[in-house]
Amino acid sequence: MTTPQNPALVLVDRAYRGSVETQFADVLYIIRELNRQTGGLHLALRGHAVTYAVAAPEYEPSVHLGSRTLDTLPDPRRSVRTMLDEGATVWVEEADLQRIGPKAASRLLPGTRTAAPGELALRWFSYSQVWFM
Amino acid sequence: MAPVPRTDVLLAVFGGPHRTDLVSTTFRLAHALLDRGATLQVWTCGDATGLTRRSLGDSKPRNVVDWTRDHPSTAAVARGLIADHPGRLHWYVCRFCSDERGMGDQIPEVRRRPPFTFHEHTQAAGKALTLGVC
Repeated sequence: MTTPQNPALVLVDRAYRGSVETQFADVLYIIRELNRQTGGLHLALRGHAVTYAVAAPEYEPSVHLGSRTLDTLPDPRRSVRTMLDEGATVWVEEADLQRIGPKAASRLLPGTRTAAPGELALRWFSYSQVWFM
Repeated sequence: MAPVPRTDVLLAVFGGPHRTDLVSTTFRLAHALLDRGATLQVWTCGDATGLTRRSLGDSKPRNVVDWTRDHPSTAAVARGLIADHPGRLHWYVCRFCSDERGMGDQIPEVRRRPPFTFHEHTQAAGKALTLGVC
């Protein structure tokens, strides 16, 4: 994939907006498609959304509800991995990463980049569009 | 009008879907209580009344990157939970909230109730827990 000269920046800071009702259609679902259509975008994870880029022990995102096993819940880490494989640039806010634990930075998914406080805001002029999603 | 059945717990769901994990918590809590043999009422208000609206059908719209996989709607999940626990799970929907939001057409497994009967439901439950705010 050829990265556009002035890609779009998409910021996500509100994480975990539903599971049983949301399933595949979380915020990363549309961002992944935007990444495809724009030829590569930058995704910035802030707030609790930084956990999307922090590796965790393997688990199956599923829940038992009565006789049903609902195994189609959102899996944001998997979605971030897929987006990295598909050429997206993923930023994680350092300050928010530190807030979730001293070892979180060492568990970032390979390929993600960290941004110092205010660093991304200073770069806004270099993006064609800035979206808060 | 059938009387409100006596239950161990009332879960009053005031918070809306697609904002937090509140709806998942509601379903998980309901499952856990029922799994332990409890009787339960669920009462939904506000946007939560849409969880069981008939127009949702059985499945969510298709996932364009996983076309053949079924993703059940919340209406289907609620229907399944009710069917799995006959006589032990009663699901009520606030009539005013659902009408106000154009979601009055509900799946047949739930009952719509006038808002001012809510107090009656709290009195029929051993414990009442509210989840979120409208």
